[in-house]
Amino acid sequence: MGVIEVSGINKSFGETQAVNNVSFEVTQGRIFGLLGPNGAGKTTAIRMINNILIPDSGTITINGQQASAATQNMIGYMPEERGLYKKMKVGEQLIYLAQLKGLSRSEAKDAIRFWLERFDALDWTGKKVGELSKGMSQKIQFIATIAHDPDIYIFDEPFSGLDPINSETLKEVVLELRDKGKTILFSTHRMEQVEQMCDEICLFNKGRAVLKGDLREIKQSFGKNTINLEFQGDASFLDKLDNVRINNRSTNFAEIRVLNGQNTQDILRTAMSHAEIYTFERIEPSLQEIFISTVGEDNINPKDLG
Amino acid sequence: MSFRQIKLVLQREYMTKIRSKAFIIATILIPIGLIAFIAFAAGIAMWDSEPELKIGIADQTEQLYPRLANMDADRYLDVSELSEDSLRSMVIQEQLNGYIYLRDAHVNAEQNPELVYGGSGGFALLNSIRSDLRDAIREERLQRANVSQEVQDIYASKVSLDSRKLTKEGEEKEDNTGFLSGLGMFMGVFIFTALFGYGGLLTRSVIEEKTNRIVEVIASSVKPIELLIGKMAGIAALGLTQIAFWTLAFFGISAAAAPVAAMFMDTTAEELANTAETAEGFDPAALQLPSIEPMIFVWFIVFFLLGYLLYSTFFAAVGSAVDSETDTQQFMFPIMVPIMIAYFIMFRTIESPDSSLSVIGSLVPFTSPIVMITRIAITDVPIWQISLAIILIAVTFVGAMWLCAKIYKVGILSYGKSANYKELVKWIKQG
Repeated sequence: MGVIEVSGINKSFGETQAVNNVSFEVTQGRIFGLLGPNGAGKTTAIRMINNILIPDSGTITINGQQASAATQNMIGYMPEERGLYKKMKVGEQLIYLAQLKGLSRSEAKDAIRFWLERFDALDWTGKKVGELSKGMSQKIQFIATIAHDPDIYIFDEPFSGLDPINSETLKEVVLELRDKGKTILFSTHRMEQVEQMCDEICLFNKGRAVLKGDLREIKQSFGKNTINLEFQGDASFLDKLDNVRINNRSTNFAEIRVLNGQNTQDILRTAMSHAEIYTFERIEPSLQEIFISTVGEDNINPKDLG
Repeated sequence: MSFRQIKLVLQREYMTKIRSKAFIIATILIPIGLIAFIAFAAGIAMWDSEPELKIGIADQTEQLYPRLANMDADRYLDVSELSEDSLRSMVIQEQLNGYIYLRDAHVNAEQNPELVYGGSGGFALLNSIRSDLRDAIREERLQRANVSQEVQDIYASKVSLDSRKLTKEGEEKEDNTGFLSGLGMFMGVFIFTALFGYGGLLTRSVIEEKTNRIVEVIASSVKPIELLIGKMAGIAALGLTQIAFWTLAFFGISAAAAPVAAMFMDTTAEELANTAETAEGFDPAALQLPSIEPMIFVWFIVFFLLGYLLYSTFFAAVGSAVDSETDTQQFMFPIMVPIMIAYFIMFRTIESPDSSLSVIGSLVPFTSPIVMITRIAITDVPIWQISLAIILIAVTFVGAMWLCAKIYKVGILSYGKSANYKELVKWIKQG
């Protein structure tokens, strides 16, 4: 049974249908990625799981219970638009937020002490959040999300705006939580960031869940029909290749998706005659490539994919 | 709805605000500012004097001028020797503000005297000249009619009006209408100011949560309605604390200052009594604080709270609909209009607390918090009217809360731009 079960949910705002008949299931102890371009309905779906929005139809259960005020306490949620009270002291603020999640005052104090110590931030307790640097307040935000020790963690676009050090910390903690049997769901439009982390994914496009399942299985099913090409020299030959789609192109690198059975050896020969080849490797497609071939090139705005 | 969550929100709202420097400074400065303002206004009133106006009197009766000169020798000048042409040119050159020819025909009331003047002085001048002339002519006529001194004294006497209130219980009480009018106005103005003050505080507090981007974190633990109620109650508690502080401070300072004030009052009263003119109709006892019905204060708190609750729903909705404080203006206007109307009705109520405008104003929920407390202070308002006003505000509050909670629920999670009225309607339909 899934820790989070979403079945057939719909949500409209006026004319726009933000989420259209979406179902998925998140199993315990897994890292689940909700992927898709901006405006695909990820945040709306996440807000419904958090009981901030109520679906027009369909059901959401958390640990077998209908989403409600009670299930909110089972979740640690870090929204995309996040922040803290700037004029409030770190310690008081964290205690307040943990109390709102159902902890008693003394439980909250203990938990917050533990986490502040863990992040080397015990000195900040009496400081106002407005006095902290951005990186410091990101850590405080993180403690606010996890202090009440929930079973489920939901991060909406967790890496946007996070500095590299905190990104690493977040990744470490997320993996650590997973190893403790916690369940993690996060959403992102930057697909390359989550490839290494996710066990399962659900691809969103225009309010619909277009592809879902175990990440490794999905990748295998797409086959090794992508070429990683590193080269030195004139890159213009890439434009002359037929039946390919080029992703992640830069001055001396290209990820080439082979379409319609185009012969990979022909591509190699063309490349060799124009440039010096450092790497030529057949790999499984990237998530971004999987997304594009799932929804069709015409159905997405490439700018939405970071 | 969870009372635990509401209590947590309330506590945070109250504690963070009451400890903030801005709040402490405001609590101390507002009464000082108020006293300074009153002192300044009183100072202006004392310093501001009537301009010295010169009125030429060409008196052909030779009886009237001495009487006028007796009344105000600085103002009335004897110009009997000057021709009318030179008087005209003196008025034009502003050496004289005006002139009057007085003849026997005026004394005999066959003709009205005529003032020719440059137009300066206003109603105050015309009124005082009219009353001076009336007195002078009346005295002259009495003299000519050769009536006895006794009768002349009768005409010279001036009657003032004392008043006592007869209550429904049949008790006669000292009439404090003047003092109570002042109290009613003070309470009305206080509620008027408090609606804007505490309402604005709530708006800013809602905007703060939006701009700090913490509101979605909160929304993942607390229902929007719980958050809204908690914040409204927190600021209400803040207001009551402030009122309690000011009340205690007032009584504390009065108790300490009473002996000093009493000394001052005694000497003033004596001085005043010595000045025959002002002593007429002046009762030194009026300087002492008359007793006030304690119920007035209970009603004051009741109507302050009800008024705050009703309006705070709108102030909160405005905060949730905008993205920054500068965008609140377009939504504030419709909230300000009824408060301003109530404020203007209040002044009518002070003059005439039982006029139909006052009664209606004290029953309409959007004006009653201000108008009703002023009426209650000044006059005996039937208990059914007070009850009706309370019920009407309460019902309107429930409706306003229902409407504004819908706006609030959607608004707090809409980032990036301020809504317009069309969107607000959409949000209400959505909720």
